[in-house]
Amino acid sequence: MNKSDSERVRTVIERMGYTWTDDEETANLLGILACSVRQKAIDKVYTRIHKWNKWKQNKNLLSFVTGCVLPADKDKFLTLFDLVFTMEELPGLYDMIRQYGMVTPVGIAGKHVDPVLQDPLTQPVSDIDFSDINIVEIEKQNGNLTNGDLKPLKPRDQSAVKLGGFWTVKPRYTSQFEAFIPIQNGCDKFCTFCAVPYTRGREVSRSSEEILSEVKQLMEQGYKSITLLGQNVNSYGKDKKGDEISFPELLKKIGQLGDSKGHECWVYFTSPHPKDMSEDVIKVISRYSCLAKQIHLPIQSGDEKVLIKMNRNHTVEKYRKIVNAIHKWIPDATIFTDIIVGFTGETDSQFLNTRKAISEFKYNMAYIAMYSPRPGATSSRWKDDISHEIKKERLHILSEELKIYTRQYNENMVGKKYIVLVTGHDRKEGFLSGYTEGKIIVRFPSHDKKLIGKFVEIKIISAADFSVEGELIPIKEKERIG
Amino acid sequence: MMSNVTNNTLTSVNQIKHLTPSTYIVRIERRELEFRAGQYILLGLPGYKNKREYSIYSGEMDPFIEVLIKEIQDGVVSKQLKEIRPGTKLVMDGPFGFFTLSPEQIETGKFLFIASGTGIAPFHSFVRSFAGLDYTILHGVRYLDEGYGKDDYDPKRYILCTTKDPEGNFHGRVTEYIKNHPVDNQTLCYLCGNSNMIHEMHDILTEQGVPNKNLHAEVYF
Repeated sequence: MNKSDSERVRTVIERMGYTWTDDEETANLLGILACSVRQKAIDKVYTRIHKWNKWKQNKNLLSFVTGCVLPADKDKFLTLFDLVFTMEELPGLYDMIRQYGMVTPVGIAGKHVDPVLQDPLTQPVSDIDFSDINIVEIEKQNGNLTNGDLKPLKPRDQSAVKLGGFWTVKPRYTSQFEAFIPIQNGCDKFCTFCAVPYTRGREVSRSSEEILSEVKQLMEQGYKSITLLGQNVNSYGKDKKGDEISFPELLKKIGQLGDSKGHECWVYFTSPHPKDMSEDVIKVISRYSCLAKQIHLPIQSGDEKVLIKMNRNHTVEKYRKIVNAIHKWIPDATIFTDIIVGFTGETDSQFLNTRKAISEFKYNMAYIAMYSPRPGATSSRWKDDISHEIKKERLHILSEELKIYTRQYNENMVGKKYIVLVTGHDRKEGFLSGYTEGKIIVRFPSHDKKLIGKFVEIKIISAADFSVEGELIPIKEKERIG
Repeated sequence: MMSNVTNNTLTSVNQIKHLTPSTYIVRIERRELEFRAGQYILLGLPGYKNKREYSIYSGEMDPFIEVLIKEIQDGVVSKQLKEIRPGTKLVMDGPFGFFTLSPEQIETGKFLFIASGTGIAPFHSFVRSFAGLDYTILHGVRYLDEGYGKDDYDPKRYILCTTKDPEGNFHGRVTEYIKNHPVDNQTLCYLCGNSNMIHEMHDILTEQGVPNKNLHAEVYF
């Protein structure tokens, strides 16, 4: 979600006439897309802004923070950043900067700024490494920024800003072959460990017409991997109460669109909630080849009582039914999950049930996090009573358990051929890497940069815990898949 | 035409009814909120960042919304709301939650509602909303006066379990009552209240053969 947000922030700012710089120290406008899901990410925001505020003593600099910001953090951010705004307020950023007494490069040139109408698919840009805090670093082209007596923009001032729809901001895609499309924002599930309902607000679905138009455009541009994004992506449409198509219907339309294009494209979605994962969704994925056979299904815990305490609104039994349906309709699908260890009050036997879930569901990947209370989330009112050492130990145990099954799966890949989307240079010198449709990471020896962003065929020759290695099957250029 | 409120909506307090020194019912204007019995809303004072989740106590057809609140010793919102008066504006958001009954269940199901303290709220809403519901309420409290709204139920269907007062229908905890009165595995069990009660009851009912699909829980925090 953060990556998609940053692409939209970048569109708006570049439309004002600023240009991107990778050199943080030379930038005149610096911003952070915050993520409140984990405390660690928010801690990084504070570290960053203190550094920037020191720089302000010697240079003209405007700072902003947006994204997932809790009310408690927002109050503090208002004293540290020049601008604090939500993603929904993004279309009004130009006016916010102007209200702040700043002129933008485009403003100086007397041009009208319309971030909404930006053509997103022009001017490819280089890959950017997005970590859990995405920093938008902008260098002003001309004009003089005056730092002067800058004060944070107060919420009441921001309410005066005419807000456009966030969805209408077309993103500047940061890759020429992978794109992320937000289709739904917010969350009504209120999992007790999560602050998203308080930072992102209620579930709001984007119009299917807009989504399909963006997907179509991307497919026509030759994008190879498209990910539909949402905090509860598969609750898509429910907020519209019959006035919008459902998630399986949306997937079906995308499937029809993708399969009619006649070239390979993989469409993913994340993150779904098991509560809304119907068999219809799984059946649709099985029917259309462009809908990637990879499903991310967060379980969070394998213990019924922990799930109740997390207010997940699903049981292990319900989860099991979904996994069985996936195996029935899409036998080749890979399954990824999210797990939290050391949640408030998690006993040894409850942890053991999560361990059993790993062995039962044999995940291809699990993003395992040690529980950390987030201010604003319900669980932050409870004692974080599992020690860091125990959390660390449980994380280690689960990781080792996970490796048994990922390794088994990966070893079964050896000797077989897979289509791989090449995404870039591997850390291993002289190797490129990419992923299969099931998002299994594949590396292979090659110096051919032209393969990046292309589909290639790879014969797997060896397996590791979380990746495989293979060799490129040479094919004639005209037969190249994508 | 009723609609979902969902976003922060201002509403007015109609009435505050104090049931005990710490527990009270807040009645607010409905503002066309459409909800299903068992759901909850977020409620707080305008201009304050804290809002809290409260199960709706009133019925689906009532022209107002009621919530049952117990003042929390170290709480913020429950203390603020205790001091409000009729006419006070509140911010309401919702409804949320999935602790609801399906139409088929309402027609044919045999229900056991087990609550601790103010966890009775969604069950009160069920009973007010669905006439003819085949239910038994097991309500665990400490003292007799904490049997919130007990006169609203058919006395034959309401069992008050008091731990510190011998005058309830059963002197002891709800978990002890269930240990002594096993539940048949066809009963649809709905648990609402503090997590300790729910976790213990979950184990007892599972041991008694109630399948997981018949167990539903809403934890109060």
